[in-house]
Amino acid sequence: MKRFLIPGALVAVPVLLAAFGPLFATGGTGKDVAFSSGPGHPFGTDFVGRDVWTQVLLGGGSVVFVAVAATACTYLVAVPLGLVAGMTRHRLVDEALLRPLDVLLAIPSMLLLLLLAAAAPSSRWVLIAVVTVINLPDVVRISRAGALSSAASPAVEAMRLQGESPARIGIGYVARRMLRTLAADLGTRFTGAIYLVASASFLGVGVAPQAADWAAMIDRNRTGLFLQPWAVVLPALLIVALSVGVNLTFDRLLRKRKSEVPT
Amino acid sequence: MNVVEVDELEVAVGGRRLLGGISFALPAGSVTALVGESGSGKTTAGLALLGEHPPGAEVTGRVVVDGHPVTADSSAPRGRIGYVPQHPSTALNPARRVGSVLREIARHHTTAGSRGERKALARNRIDEALRQARLSERPDLLHRYPHQLSGGQQQRVVLAQALLGRPRVVVADEPTTGQDAVTRAQLVAELRALAAEGIAVLLLTHDLDVVRGLADRLLVLRAGRVLESGPAREVLSAPRHEHTRMLVESQPDSRTPAESEVDTEVRPLLAVRELTAGHRSGGRAVETLHPASFEIRPGERVAVVGRSGGGKTTLARCLAGLHPRRGGEVLLRDEPLAPRLRRRDRAQLAEVQYVFQDARASFDEHVPVLDQVARTAERLRGAGRAQAREQAEHRLERVGLDRASTARRPAALSGGELQRAALVRALLARPGLLICDEITSGLDAVTQAEILALLRELPAETGCALLFIAHDLGVVADLAERVLIVADGHLVEQGATAQVLRAPRHPATAELVEAAANQVAPA
Repeated sequence: MKRFLIPGALVAVPVLLAAFGPLFATGGTGKDVAFSSGPGHPFGTDFVGRDVWTQVLLGGGSVVFVAVAATACTYLVAVPLGLVAGMTRHRLVDEALLRPLDVLLAIPSMLLLLLLAAAAPSSRWVLIAVVTVINLPDVVRISRAGALSSAASPAVEAMRLQGESPARIGIGYVARRMLRTLAADLGTRFTGAIYLVASASFLGVGVAPQAADWAAMIDRNRTGLFLQPWAVVLPALLIVALSVGVNLTFDRLLRKRKSEVPT
Repeated sequence: MNVVEVDELEVAVGGRRLLGGISFALPAGSVTALVGESGSGKTTAGLALLGEHPPGAEVTGRVVVDGHPVTADSSAPRGRIGYVPQHPSTALNPARRVGSVLREIARHHTTAGSRGERKALARNRIDEALRQARLSERPDLLHRYPHQLSGGQQQRVVLAQALLGRPRVVVADEPTTGQDAVTRAQLVAELRALAAEGIAVLLLTHDLDVVRGLADRLLVLRAGRVLESGPAREVLSAPRHEHTRMLVESQPDSRTPAESEVDTEVRPLLAVRELTAGHRSGGRAVETLHPASFEIRPGERVAVVGRSGGGKTTLARCLAGLHPRRGGEVLLRDEPLAPRLRRRDRAQLAEVQYVFQDARASFDEHVPVLDQVARTAERLRGAGRAQAREQAEHRLERVGLDRASTARRPAALSGGELQRAALVRALLARPGLLICDEITSGLDAVTQAEILALLRELPAETGCALLFIAHDLGVVADLAERVLIVADGHLVEQGATAQVLRAPRHPATAELVEAAANQVAPA
């Protein structure tokens, strides 16, 4: 358990702040002098004079929630698709599933993000959908590759000879064998999602200009970086802690599982 | 003159003794065989001559190679001892041509003289090594990459690499494992030629046929101790220790073929007509199985024999529905059998069952063995979950696997145990035809004998026919009533085992039989 202490703490702080922060945001929303640090403002004020601590407490939800939801959606859609593409013995099905995604893969993700977000109404759900679509081709490819190698193994052939249904083989064996690969991918994929969501917020896509949002805070407050660094450093630290923490957690988790498997 | 002397060699890792004080000597120009089951300490003893030990090993005793004491820190002078590892493919660099690696090694061994002289010397060394390893008649092989060579050729290249240093001793670790009879016979000839040139050969093997054909002296190893030693012929013909006797008796013998007892009038279980198959290679269709026709009668034991890569497995997989066939038809009890598994109904699935070569790979590593075995009865014979488990448990116990071990995951079972479980898994379907793909290759002689005994008993009880693939004629003669000889994708000969083996009509058959006979009765 000891080795999960540091990564756990790194994940817990931003997640707890994001989840329960709004409950504790009791500080007044009244405005003070911009980029000042005085009594009543432990981390000073931001570019329009709002309390930075209150903004941090209020602004975690959008980044963390959108990143988690987008990553979850990606896997929910991509893994079944990859499984079907990898296990099918009809080449046509495989091609029909993968070719459209290859087209998506060819478009730079930031371009896609800006394009889709500009065309669609600016809301949280649109942002989730956009990040899901951007990540989809990669995860489908990874799960298809994982499924391909398992689907040709003697174990799968033995199960087919036993009369097992494709669904049971797919979920009970092939998907299970992909878990390790997917878990390794999940850590980096989540970091990527945070990056995309934060970039979107930073560019003002998907959030209102005045809204409390960690990524947006970094952008708006960077003009006063040398006057009042906390307004930039605090949200930046939280985002970094979350992505580093998630990556470390999955690293440790995989290392543990590896040592459990007897060779 | 003794080139190698090993005195009271003891190797222990973490308190567990791998070798318990063994002593032997290797005289120049003779072949000494270390024989034993897997895990008996053969490889540990062989590697000790090189000064290699398992990590964390405590070593006592004395090893002297060519007058030089060998310890973990100081091995024999470079080149004095050659090692041919078990899997030659892993010892070759896949990214480099065979010849350039040989030249590099030769340069390391020639240090004296000017640049030009060294080059000439290195070339001489290579020529000599190639001649000794019997590769000199194929100079084109030197321009190839290891994956373009056959298993036997790879082994000869590794041997040539070892010979470049003009070794006094060559250690060959399980050189015949997984090789077909013809390659094995060639290997025996090569090693004998080496001994004739005054090199001491240490052969680590579990293949007693090779020992019989090659070894002058024999040491039987078990759990790190020498059970018996002496002249090979003497030990094998009159084994004193019980374990040696078991090893000798469990070796299948190709000289006494099983006699056919099957009534030829019976309606065939499986009729194969003009079956062809192939695979796609770079967009081109390659035919790997040319029209083959044969019949299998109920309860009959049929062997498919041939050199590796000849199309045996393709044939069997076509019948099992695992490989799409290109043409021809297969009739099961006069009903056409669909080429693909998913077009077969439950009854047809149950009728034709397949046991894989690699038992471990054919089990799901996350699920207890018993649960996986029981699924057959559940899916194919409509048994309830509890009933299926009961049947599976009962059958597994019959083959010597108790609940305690089968309730665990495959990783906890040995290769032989898993192969028995795989047999039970297939037999629970009560098949009419059981197809076994080289299920004993890669197992040591004792385990192999156990599996063969099961193959003899189990189908006889259930009345199912057996089609098994083998490249070991000993196993075939032991078990099969009829043989199909496959060579280069053609079914070249078929008939009663005794008849085919005694009077082969096709050159490919003759080659196989001759190779097997040479091992059993050396010239």
